[in-house]
Amino acid sequence: MTVNPDAYFAVATLLFSLGILGVISRRNLLVMYLSIELMLNAVNLILATFSRLHPDEGGTMIALFMIGVIAAEAALFLAVIVQIYRKKHTLDSDAFTELAQGKKL
Amino acid sequence: MIEILETSLFALLALGVLTGGLMILLARRPATHAMGFFIALLSVAGLFALLHQSFLFFAQVLVSVGGVVIVTLIMILTVNLREADLPPEPHQTRWLIGAAVIIAPLSLLLYQTLTTLGDAFPPVSDTFGGTRSLGTLLFHDGVLPFEILSVLLLTAMVGAIIIGKKEQSYDRES
Repeated sequence: MTVNPDAYFAVATLLFSLGILGVISRRNLLVMYLSIELMLNAVNLILATFSRLHPDEGGTMIALFMIGVIAAEAALFLAVIVQIYRKKHTLDSDAFTELAQGKKL
Repeated sequence: MIEILETSLFALLALGVLTGGLMILLARRPATHAMGFFIALLSVAGLFALLHQSFLFFAQVLVSVGGVVIVTLIMILTVNLREADLPPEPHQTRWLIGAAVIIAPLSLLLYQTLTTLGDAFPPVSDTFGGTRSLGTLLFHDGVLPFEILSVLLLTAMVGAIIIGKKEQSYDRES
């Protein structure tokens, strides 16, 4: 094995940071959803590396469960985006502040 | 020879992960986002394969690449976004730089913490990460989480169908 764990951790950390950056700095709902997916995948990669580092498949098992959770999250998030777009005809996250302002939807 | 192949494969996949992430972060058109998402998830699947996690590789390819990316693409195609529907982001570069300055120390902390865990991969048996060993583990230690996950998936499916219905209560009022 020539590639050492640090390289995998570096890739996972960069992917996670890109996800946080997307959530913080963009206003597009679709980009925010994809950034959350990127962060979940970075955690998956870290879990898989742990599992390989201490040869124990517990980490693989948790990563497997996380793939299922990612699928559930994607289905719900996409349904919400479609419904919100149908109502407002925009993907701007600032258009959905009715709950904070106490206005009727 | 194997080492060179593995290192170059790793470099290629790491480049794919970063390219996909940057495409999502910087692009403006939704189709480019979907393409970046596809590249990033496929590269993560390749990294799983390099880590001897064969079952995880298949699960990632089947569920994330084959399922989540396709559903996202279908959503983008059916919603048919126009340029005017995308939010205006006049200060995007400024926001990006500001957020990057805030995030950089946290990422460095995360990386430094992670790298204290080990220096080299130990050798593993050929069956590591395969279907048989993982299935045995899943049915000995992970039965309860597995069943909870199945209930969660069912709930999410029902919820997505109800939320995504054509007609909602606010449609009738207006």
